[in-house]
Amino acid sequence: MQLVIGGACAGKRALVRGWYPQARWHLLGAADGILPAPGERLVVSGWAAWIEAAVERGADDDDTLRLALAERLDVLLAAEAERAAQVVLIVEEMGRGIVPMGAARRRLRDLNGWLAQDAAVRCERVWYVRHGLYRRLS
Amino acid sequence: MIAFVSGGARSGKSAYGEALVRRWQQQRGGARYYLATASADDGEMAARIARHRAERGSGWITREAPLALNTALAEVEAGSVVLLDCLTLWASRVLFDSSLDQVAATALLEGTLAQARAREIDLVVVSNDLNEGMPPDDELSWRYLALLQAAHCQLAAEADVVIQVIAGLPQAWKGSLP
Repeated sequence: MQLVIGGACAGKRALVRGWYPQARWHLLGAADGILPAPGERLVVSGWAAWIEAAVERGADDDDTLRLALAERLDVLLAAEAERAAQVVLIVEEMGRGIVPMGAARRRLRDLNGWLAQDAAVRCERVWYVRHGLYRRLS
Repeated sequence: MIAFVSGGARSGKSAYGEALVRRWQQQRGGARYYLATASADDGEMAARIARHRAERGSGWITREAPLALNTALAEVEAGSVVLLDCLTLWASRVLFDSSLDQVAATALLEGTLAQARAREIDLVVVSNDLNEGMPPDDELSWRYLALLQAAHCQLAAEADVVIQVIAGLPQAWKGSLP
């Protein structure tokens, strides 16, 4: 599994499209159990929207949501190995501005940051994209 | 040579851009120009401009380039070294004070870079990194961010040198530190 992280409109998608023109792209929905098909290259994005929807439902606390996201990562990782697939996660960097005024936006920012950390430790390679250029972080 | 220098607010990006222009001018001669995207519309902006001007010192030929970067560059002597500071203001003028769409803005920037190459002008473009905080929650801010980032990606792709400035320290993303 690979993680591509970078700010809004930093060029993450263009980079991944350039690397893997044949990949299948999946934008996460609210109740979503996406898994890669055998042998395929799957790009999963839309994590912030998934988190936002979960936060708006307001049912779970932060720890439960973080755990739910980490479990989804584990499921993807296991499926990747079992099915000889290759998964690329696209996650937005959004933690470098001022603290948002609204509680929901603060939660989104926190959960998105934890997601990035939890994804990074599970991924074989982590890339940081900035203005269309990139660096390997791990 | 074209350099793209960016960083956060008060990261030292302008000072680094200025130093780079001075160095290039020492190496190759020619005049030293400052193309300002800011104009003194209000007291705060006037104070910011005065501060930057005092920090730059003398020896700069200053020209205003609020929107038409290509036109402003056309008035620069060939073989000069030019500092263009700062692209975020240009992007806000494109969005709020012009009828240019993103395609036209990209073409304008493209033409400016091509002109710099053709007329052997060394160009240092300074901008502010704004895209790693919370994504905007309104449509207008999204349009602004998308426009600015398109310009940043375009510059990074075409520049010979791309520098991120953190606390006054330059980090090379492309090319080597000049």
